[in-house]
Amino acid sequence: MKEVTMLAKVDVDKCIGCKICAKVCPVLSIKVENKKAVVDAEACRACGNCADRCPTYAIEMVMRETPIKVGVDVSKFDHKEIRELCEKAHFNPEQVLCYCTGVRADEVAAAILDGADTPEKISSVTGIRTGCTIECVQTVLRMLDAAGIELKPVEGGWQWYGKTTTSWTLPNSVKEKYPSFYFEEDNELLDRIVNTVTESEKEGSK
Amino acid sequence: MIRKPITPIPAKPSQYGIDPSFVKSRASKLPGMVSVMLKDLFPDLPDTIYPAEGNAIENIRKAARESLYKIDMSMIKPEDSVNILASHHGFTLFGGEPYAELLKAIKDVVEERTGSKNVRLRAGVGMRFRETEEYIKRYGLDTYFGKGKAIGLAPIDEGIPIETEIGTLYGLKKIYDADWIIHAHHTDVREVHFHRQVDKAVKPFGMSYARIETRSTYHQNLGPRAANFTARAIFESEFVQSKFAFASFMDVGPHGIVGVDSDNDLYALNDRATFIGCQRYGKIMTLFGDIDECIAVLDFPCPVPYVFAAGVIYANFLGANTDLYDLENNALPAYTWYTEAFYDKQDKPILGDIPPLNPAIKMCVHNYAWTGYPSAFFSKHIPTVVVGKEQGDLFDRDSMNLEYMDYATTIKTLEGAMQFAHQTTDTDKVIIFDGAMGGINVSESMARLLIDKAPAVSERVDKVLLPKWLKQRGVDISILEKLK
Repeated sequence: MKEVTMLAKVDVDKCIGCKICAKVCPVLSIKVENKKAVVDAEACRACGNCADRCPTYAIEMVMRETPIKVGVDVSKFDHKEIRELCEKAHFNPEQVLCYCTGVRADEVAAAILDGADTPEKISSVTGIRTGCTIECVQTVLRMLDAAGIELKPVEGGWQWYGKTTTSWTLPNSVKEKYPSFYFEEDNELLDRIVNTVTESEKEGSK
Repeated sequence: MIRKPITPIPAKPSQYGIDPSFVKSRASKLPGMVSVMLKDLFPDLPDTIYPAEGNAIENIRKAARESLYKIDMSMIKPEDSVNILASHHGFTLFGGEPYAELLKAIKDVVEERTGSKNVRLRAGVGMRFRETEEYIKRYGLDTYFGKGKAIGLAPIDEGIPIETEIGTLYGLKKIYDADWIIHAHHTDVREVHFHRQVDKAVKPFGMSYARIETRSTYHQNLGPRAANFTARAIFESEFVQSKFAFASFMDVGPHGIVGVDSDNDLYALNDRATFIGCQRYGKIMTLFGDIDECIAVLDFPCPVPYVFAAGVIYANFLGANTDLYDLENNALPAYTWYTEAFYDKQDKPILGDIPPLNPAIKMCVHNYAWTGYPSAFFSKHIPTVVVGKEQGDLFDRDSMNLEYMDYATTIKTLEGAMQFAHQTTDTDKVIIFDGAMGGINVSESMARLLIDKAPAVSERVDKVLLPKWLKQRGVDISILEKLK
């Protein structure tokens, strides 16, 4: 869940139509038309990537007149289904996936159950990956993959390229070759997290 | 041993911080503040070349040239292109100028020794995409390297796949768009809560030189200790090995810069950085863990977790109640992103054995620190007072910190904030994270605590902790003699 208070604004006089803004937008809210960047204000989730990568400083983040609240109501979905999906992706449902917005695994699972089938749609409806846009990208890819959804990067975009290895898919040869990296011990720790049922989860699933 | 306060690092203009004109007071100037030098606390720390008497920046250039003239550069031909790879963190050390000087010296020596005229600077960042662009301008690196040859790179920039032992990971295309790469870094401990002093010298290959997919692999996919393999996987890839020429590091301690260490073998340099790093930083880290109560003041031009006191960043102080070097008994430190992820909807740790944030920090007075790092976890769990409405407003506009001010209060002046903090916490022990070089600015009561406890901490580290830390890293204490 995120309250979107800011909005990207383009200075068309400075814009050179390079399309970098469109390549780095995690919710596909900015396009280049007639060699100028155009922001879809309703779709913008205000991460600021476009402003921070624009080579001519043609984009600034401004306050919205009316903030937008985005989020998926987890309570409307079957908790058992949410836990199953989270477990398949090796997350505890209450685990925080996005350190910037605080979006948790159960909300991403709910978004997927509600029909979001790309990372961009999940970011749009939950707000996940609209802060730094960096550190949680694999969590979204893992959840979609666990749901059996094929991952297709945005053509020509730099939003994301692909899912990478996890603690559960590391080659045994690597684990054996480098025991000092605590691969097995950390895997055990992560599994303990996944399998723990929190007090609020017990309450919520009643 | 108690001295007058050390002049802190000045406020700096940046899109990530308030305008320096809004920083009306510095904590070290408050009545009752003093300083303690690190060499007074721990006399076994080596001498520094920076800070030092006279024009200390010349010491950096001299040390860099001497070090760089000892290594093999024969692989670089006059017609070859070379990327010097830098990272944002280096510019936050000791005012930033020493790292900039190292980068300039590397360029000069590479040109002198190889005849290459195509030496570029590629400076990576973390979450503040414009940060190294700001440093490049501030330290004149754009003009020094020539038009278009010094650029800042962000992890969302165009990437390239790199095939590794653990599958495909992703680097930044412009990091590797030269025939050769030179890894220009430092041995500062910085985020020991993340890297745990394991492969510290290799880490940028999985971070500031890497794409978002790789960074996320580190912070989400592998676990708090196993994550450190990410950088090694990339560095050992055939692709990176085919371009790697050498590494050149500022060799630092918590009290200053000791020298410059260059090597064609990154793992040899990594061993020195790792083992000597445990020795140099272990004592001040452990001493910080012995602080029983305090008010922590943030007063440095960096994001909240990266402000410095005695060479230690605030993020490490947040976990100083646990032994951050202990790999076996402290799997999840009090603060890492894995730990933060594992707090449930009631803001309680999902596992009962996850330690709390350092309970000695009774209050945080945020006089001056930047946005650009998700910091709401800190204000949620440590009572936090932010000085000045402008600073609070800045955090409210930052996409990574929309909730930071939901859990912090604002007071107009530093003086008012400190009065509030003293009255609320009933402690007069103050520690200031302001980047004071060579020592630490604190209140007098805190100075006395540090001075009283330092000898016992020193003995405990030498006799108990350091041998344990080194054993966990596959070596015994004799390695330190061999590396001298």
